[in-house]
Amino acid sequence: MRRKGWIGLTFLALWAVCGFDPVWAGVPTEKVKETTDKILAIVSDPALKDPAKEAQRRERIRKTVDELCDWEEMSRRSLGRHWAKRNEQEKKEFVHLFGQLLERTYIDKVEGYSGEKVDYVGERVDGEYAEVDVKIVTKKNTEIPVVYKMRARDQKWWVYDMVIEGVSLVNNYRTQFSDILAKSSFEGLMKKLKEKTAE
Amino acid sequence: MKRTGLVFVIAILCFVGFEDTSSGQSTATYAPENLSGARRVELASIQVASLKEASADEEEAEPIESSGETVPDPLEPLNRAFFEFNDKLYFWVLKPVATGYKTVVPEEARVCVRNFFNNLAFPVRFVNNLLQGKFFGALEETCGFLVNSTLGLGGLADIATAVDIKRHDEDLGQTLAVHGAGPAFYINWPFLGPSTLRDTIGTAGDMFLDPLTYLGNYWYAPGFRGLNVVNETSLKIGDYESLKKAALDPYVALRDAYYQNRLSKIKE
Repeated sequence: MRRKGWIGLTFLALWAVCGFDPVWAGVPTEKVKETTDKILAIVSDPALKDPAKEAQRRERIRKTVDELCDWEEMSRRSLGRHWAKRNEQEKKEFVHLFGQLLERTYIDKVEGYSGEKVDYVGERVDGEYAEVDVKIVTKKNTEIPVVYKMRARDQKWWVYDMVIEGVSLVNNYRTQFSDILAKSSFEGLMKKLKEKTAE
Repeated sequence: MKRTGLVFVIAILCFVGFEDTSSGQSTATYAPENLSGARRVELASIQVASLKEASADEEEAEPIESSGETVPDPLEPLNRAFFEFNDKLYFWVLKPVATGYKTVVPEEARVCVRNFFNNLAFPVRFVNNLLQGKFFGALEETCGFLVNSTLGLGGLADIATAVDIKRHDEDLGQTLAVHGAGPAFYINWPFLGPSTLRDTIGTAGDMFLDPLTYLGNYWYAPGFRGLNVVNETSLKIGDYESLKKAALDPYVALRDAYYQNRLSKIKE
């Protein structure tokens, strides 16, 4: 009798874990989800699978990602204290090149999409800042936690950083940039960035 | 009678495990309006901190490099040499071997091998959960190990994850960090890759808890470890390549990714 009770409780607990609906999903999550769904639709579209259509496919992904990511904010944060020392022209050129590199990295990643499940597991909003927690579940029995860090600008939410398995993209580039800037110069950094995007 | 007792224990362990995950889930999914006052303040201070760290326009003081966000690297020239060595090792040896292995062994089987080694490393996670005072983690780990070792056919199938019994990935490096040890400095080992002095000591200590260390025959342990490495690589081909492609300085990118990942694991 006692054991039956435990089994019942275990099932109840199972239901509680699996059965909850994400009623919390707010605007930042919707924005991330909308863009992610659009991108996944593009990469899984059989009409665009043809290698000859690669340029077209990548262009469509690029347009969609541009609606989500704030490249200037990412650039500003990645350069850190060095940002203020640059003039408008240099800033513009930097945002353009760095944005290209980030776009390409992102597109390369999603092009490798093979039916992974994307779960939206949490959201925190505080004023103009928000964080959206996502879990990518692969078929290889791994879960990749991703946090989208967002900021509201012009009545819209924009991503300014992505934290993948605890590794912030912005912090990772900031470490690289400050290392390069310490050993060479802003011109040297721009040269490296140009070479990288031309690869 | 004995068996009934065991079933009972497993049921209790499972139940505790589930309860833990369900409460974890509900805190992770709170609506922003439901934030308690204290929580809000905490969140706000985090935001302020992160804002300060990056609002470059108004920033004059040195904000980033001195805040302990990067790992000291006094051995950089040597580390870079080993990085180059590991890079060649990957492209010339490990990747071709893993690619060959991948064409012969189907993905499902490779995932089973991964599950098996993960399950086998249970003592490391269990003891380190205990050493960090994470008794719930230790309990849930035990539950997962029992389920996977029996229903999961010796760990080949990861039933535990399927029914939401979570893995609590703790190791001695993290335990030392929780008890106040800093990373000291970065070491990029040949063959083994990124680590720090603290994490190297941790890895060495964890070897004592690794069942593979106690295999009778002299050749078994290196053999199994080699299989594990090739198997893992076969499931991750392309990851290192994309890191290199995205990085302006792959050495620094890898060092920072390792360090940030460790920091987040220690915080968990």
